Amino acid sequence: MSVFPSTAAAKAAGRRKPAAGAPAPGSRDQRAAYLFVAPLGIGFAVFYFWPLLQTFFYSFTEFGAFGGNTWIGTDNYVRVLKDVTVWQALGNTLIYCVIGLLALPIAIGVAALLNRRGLRGVAVYRALYFVPFVTLPVAVGLVWNWLYNGDYGLINEVFEWFGADRRYWVSDPSTAVYAIGTVMVWSTTGYYLVIFMAGIKGIPRDYYEAAELDGAGPLRRFFTITLPLLSPTIFFASVICMINSLQTFDLIYIMMAEKNPAIGDTQSVVSLFYKWAFVENAQGPAAALAFLLMLIIAALTLVQFRLQKRWVHYA
Amino acid sequence: MRRRTLLYGAMAAPLLAACSGQSDDGEQSGGRTTLSYGVWDVAQVPGLQKVIDAFEKENPGISVRMELTPWSSYWTTLKTSMRGGTAPDVFWMNAVNLQLYAAGGVLEPLSGHIKSDATPVDRHPEALVQIYAYQGTQYGIPKDFDTIGLWYNKALFDKAGIKYPDATWTWDDVRDAAAELTNPRQRVHGMAAEMDRQGQLYPAIFGAGGYVLRDGKSGFGDERSIEGLRYWTDMIDRGWSPPQSAMVESKGRNRYWSEKTAMYYDLSAMAGQMYAVPALKDHGGVAVLPGGRERATVIHGLANVISAKSRKKEAAWKFVHFMAGREAAEIQAAAGATLSSYEGTQDAWFKSMPEFELKHFVDMLEYAVPYPSSKNTAVWENLQYPLLGAAFSGKGGIESAARTLGEQMDRALKEERA
Amino acid sequence: MPESSVRPASRRRFNAGSVATHAVLSLGALVMVFPFLWQLLTAAKSLAETAKVPPTFLPDTWNWSSFEEVFTALPFKEMLFNSVFNTVGRTVGQLVFCSLAAYAFARMRFRGRNVLFALFLSVLMVPSSLLVLPQYDIIQRLGLLNSAPALFLPGMFSAFGTFMLRQFFLTLPKELEEAARIDGAGPFRIFWSIMLPLVRPALAALAVITAMWSWNDLLWPLIVNTDPEKMPISAGLTSLEGQFETNFPVMMAGSLIASLPMLVVYVFLQRHFVQSVALSGSKS
Repeated sequence: MSVFPSTAAAKAAGRRKPAAGAPAPGSRDQRAAYLFVAPLGIGFAVFYFWPLLQTFFYSFTEFGAFGGNTWIGTDNYVRVLKDVTVWQALGNTLIYCVIGLLALPIAIGVAALLNRRGLRGVAVYRALYFVPFVTLPVAVGLVWNWLYNGDYGLINEVFEWFGADRRYWVSDPSTAVYAIGTVMVWSTTGYYLVIFMAGIKGIPRDYYEAAELDGAGPLRRFFTITLPLLSPTIFFASVICMINSLQTFDLIYIMMAEKNPAIGDTQSVVSLFYKWAFVENAQGPAAALAFLLMLIIAALTLVQFRLQKRWVHYA
Repeated sequence: MRRRTLLYGAMAAPLLAACSGQSDDGEQSGGRTTLSYGVWDVAQVPGLQKVIDAFEKENPGISVRMELTPWSSYWTTLKTSMRGGTAPDVFWMNAVNLQLYAAGGVLEPLSGHIKSDATPVDRHPEALVQIYAYQGTQYGIPKDFDTIGLWYNKALFDKAGIKYPDATWTWDDVRDAAAELTNPRQRVHGMAAEMDRQGQLYPAIFGAGGYVLRDGKSGFGDERSIEGLRYWTDMIDRGWSPPQSAMVESKGRNRYWSEKTAMYYDLSAMAGQMYAVPALKDHGGVAVLPGGRERATVIHGLANVISAKSRKKEAAWKFVHFMAGREAAEIQAAAGATLSSYEGTQDAWFKSMPEFELKHFVDMLEYAVPYPSSKNTAVWENLQYPLLGAAFSGKGGIESAARTLGEQMDRALKEERA
Repeated sequence: MPESSVRPASRRRFNAGSVATHAVLSLGALVMVFPFLWQLLTAAKSLAETAKVPPTFLPDTWNWSSFEEVFTALPFKEMLFNSVFNTVGRTVGQLVFCSLAAYAFARMRFRGRNVLFALFLSVLMVPSSLLVLPQYDIIQRLGLLNSAPALFLPGMFSAFGTFMLRQFFLTLPKELEEAARIDGAGPFRIFWSIMLPLVRPALAALAVITAMWSWNDLLWPLIVNTDPEKMPISAGLTSLEGQFETNFPVMMAGSLIASLPMLVVYVFLQRHFVQSVALSGSKS
């Protein structure tokens, strides 16, 4: 059963039987394919799969702070599942994921605007949208904390001007998650923009020209040409965006001071993992938590791969 | 500005020195043993470099090279490098981690060395030395210490017409003053009751006659401890201090520096930074902590320890022994970044900031309580802020929060022993 | 040029639309650049001013000395060199390894392809800090601790890059390959001289993203290279961070200087996003 989409060639050969057109084992193509994959495969085996296996083993052990493991079966997993903070963190993480996905439509929109032919200053805009990429994370935290500042922040000034109450955005448990989510969208938009700009540039210009000759307006061109032909890139970006936002950690670490009263309400699964593994010397449960998160991410990714057949158009 | 030049010097010294050559493994270069010395505070580096220079002069066969790792990644890096044997030979230890490292067998026991070389451990505050012993064995020797004092703004006191705090002050005096000093229109508060364990929570708990950890049991559910915590939450509820939610972005320390709060409990180590703020140099003051049911403050300090994996233990011990002595303490004190723990060597530090009466920090040694720690301190410390945060933000009572914290901490302590 | 024949018809609407476009893009750009500006403003403040309550927006007095002091505070040159080495190593590694594998996953059929691809993707699904300890052990066993290769070795292999390039390879029409195959070109020839040039925008994007990640990476360099001589600038800058207070002006100045090379790289690489792929000619 094929989990992943078959290529255009495989589709042509017959949808449900991907093996039908496959070259015989040992054929030149088959061997070439393995050679193409091998360098990456070896690197992965050494630096990722082997560590992953080791860590998987550790997740069934009690792990001394300085080495030494004792097998304790599934205790770590039981402990993780019974811990209420895990479930709270999981809830927060899902909120981050939903908010994080908002970066995609914004990035697509900006990429499409930047692709307008004859637009002056495109290079300048591109450089400006790239700037969050090179901004020091500490600076990001500082400036957003200044904007959100409950007593003196710019955001409160604006809200007050409109007659709304001031709020402690990042220390109020009811707003903190959204405050962080907003920064997340801000900081990732430029990143997806780079990907989408590359995707849009892969769309042959003559498609647009033909559509323009047919009298299609910019919006129509966007929906009938840009979106469908960009769909493989959008699919990629949405998988990556989902995976990344389910692993949100850095931003929370930067934005939330240790003494923030809302810290429990903003903690993500990976922040909890980090705390357990690196601060509290609970590597065993931390590893178990990481593998449970991996399971969730894998399941959601699988769903995305399954659904893509309905909306992703490969050439 | 003083602190700036100090900092720049500090940052330049170790990293540039590290880059100025020398064979990097450092095992032997021209018959010399090179020790690595792991530290995290950039501000202390110039002073330490002077100590090292003095040590190298006395021990021509040994050179010491500092490895500066920022605080935020110091422990992660250290723990990892312990696995691969790239850990520094000598490094800084704190109370939170001592028992964990000692129990993990990665620290060299020092008791034997101390005895045979007559290292003057007894000249350091006993409460501090005690932090670095585990199951009867000494693993570290303190180099400096910190106590908490009451910092206050004389100009704001003058404006309100109140006498300055002194050794006779009690909590009632603090409360009266806080009420008077609070000026909502100017957004000035009498106190900044920050939720910080070392600066606020522990001193108040000890001052009320409570405890944090005794015989493997949590003291947070104790009546007296709760009374201590209420000292703070009460000030927040009455508006004499901003709530914790407002001190996330504008910390108590920054409020004090900006003359937005008239009183603040803070570390002796902050003296240098305060001194660099012109207004505070002019009219900042410090007093011993006011008495609650008892007089108390918290003492903590850093210690030098030797890695059990070091292959140069003999040289490493020579260095740690030297660091424990009077000469090293005096050099360090003169540098001004920290308060040396060797008895009677603090004069140079006092004189480096004559406008502040820094000797109060030493006066408090008499009743200073050691910073509480156990084998897995970080676990129960991490429970504190999330559980107490609401009460320190004026939402929810302190009593039930403290009791919950006590129960959860007891559970963590039980797990730690298992 | 076909473009000129299209223009006159839509000129008017184009201009009206471009005003709105500029308005939206400028507003967005302002939001994006704001923290960077803040960095600049902070670098121009005094240390005491950065700790002020209420915080100031513009510096009380403009003071650019932080930009000079950062050079005396850090061994900037050595660290910059390490950063370049790390960044180039990872970027080149990813471009080579990922494009090869991605091409095979997208355009070749072989036994175990889907399983292998799923396995590769699984690398993305665990927090990277989970693998730090065992990866450290491997670097140690290779005898590479405190060395330049330690910085970039694991980072040369990327599931992200493979997945991304695979998606781009999937969009290419299959006629191109078939034509080349009929001409007798081998798999590597087809990959190298026909398919790879067509995904150049994606390669440029991957290069930019990888370069940024490598340039800013923090935890791994700190763990694997404890020797300051071997640290990249990202890790070096954090040593300006104190336990209680941080010297923000110098840190911001340092980070601004450190980000300049990346801006240059981006400006250079973005030309490749701009150029459309010349697909049209070969299609007809």
